[in-house]
Amino acid sequence: MEFKEVVGRRRSIRFFEPDKPVEREKIQIILETARLASCAVNAQWLRAIVVERDKLPPEKLSQLKTPVAALTLDLAPVHIYFFVDLGVVNRIKGSRLKELVDAGALAPTHGWSHKFVDDFVYPQILEPMTRNREGYLAAACADAGGAVHNALLAAFDEGLGACLNTPNPMLTRQVFGVPEDWISLWVMLVGYPAESWEAGGQRPRPPFEELYFEGEYGTPFRRDAAVVEKLKAAKMIQAPAPLPGRREEIRGLAERLGLPE
Amino acid sequence: MALANQILDYAAVQTWVSGLREQWGEEPSDLDVRLAVLRRFCEFVERDPDAVIAESCREVEGGKRIRIKMRRHYTEKIAEFQAALPGDARAQGRAGNTVRSFFIHNGIFMQAGLAE
Repeated sequence: MEFKEVVGRRRSIRFFEPDKPVEREKIQIILETARLASCAVNAQWLRAIVVERDKLPPEKLSQLKTPVAALTLDLAPVHIYFFVDLGVVNRIKGSRLKELVDAGALAPTHGWSHKFVDDFVYPQILEPMTRNREGYLAAACADAGGAVHNALLAAFDEGLGACLNTPNPMLTRQVFGVPEDWISLWVMLVGYPAESWEAGGQRPRPPFEELYFEGEYGTPFRRDAAVVEKLKAAKMIQAPAPLPGRREEIRGLAERLGLPE
Repeated sequence: MALANQILDYAAVQTWVSGLREQWGEEPSDLDVRLAVLRRFCEFVERDPDAVIAESCREVEGGKRIRIKMRRHYTEKIAEFQAALPGDARAQGRAGNTVRSFFIHNGIFMQAGLAE
């Protein structure tokens, strides 16, 4: 699928075919895509634990359910629990930055050298950053979040449906026995959609000009209608929700899956 | 416990019915059946519909909060109620979902989970 169409087709899918397994290869592709995401100082904070719902002991599955995500956890055959490894920066001490220097990604043309990393970047910027818990957490989670969104798009590119949920952080850490310095981020629920791929249409978003500015705050970035048309042709901007027939679709799913109306 | 009023006289039932209308664009054709299920549930828990909803939330500064313990209580009561009904699992599940729908349209978030 073309990139723009993948972006356009992504929706939070909440109805999955509960008994249709997901190929292991597709799960690997999702993880490979996360690994290649842009990452500050090449730290790679993101960690994941892949769980096949039916291989999880029922008591653990039950522990992982939150009031908002109990049903989707039942429906999705694969759950990918994402974590942020906060300990990584002080374990690698800038070594991955030096790999970037060696790889020619960071070059002397831009001021980079091994010595700069060893003498300044790690001891004066990265290590102190890890001591400012609030700021560090925000930075690491934002970075890992970007990688998760790469993974999310990969799921749709593979013809799957997916959505992100926030698990109970304490229970998640307990159930999977992760290291102390891992923070629970999201669970991505993955499976084949039981709803149509359109899932009722593209979700409502605030107006473009309300979100993006040009030059300074308050000057909206001008949205060019010709670009919008181009993106419509590329299937990135699609028909907005609710599409006709969505109510009937939900009713049909409620009936088939035994869910309340 | 028999209800003191007609079931449609209760505010929470009116909220439910208008929520169903708004969500689905029409009144359910089997509304009478649904109301009868809700009535049986209310008899089962010995509370009227307004009391059930009132017990499930509380007013705090800044708005309403769902009472988690009461929601858990009613989640269990719904499971008990549907299991005690005659008919197959599908019919029992449908009755349970009717009651869940009553809670949901009154703002008490509730998920059914998949039938075994």
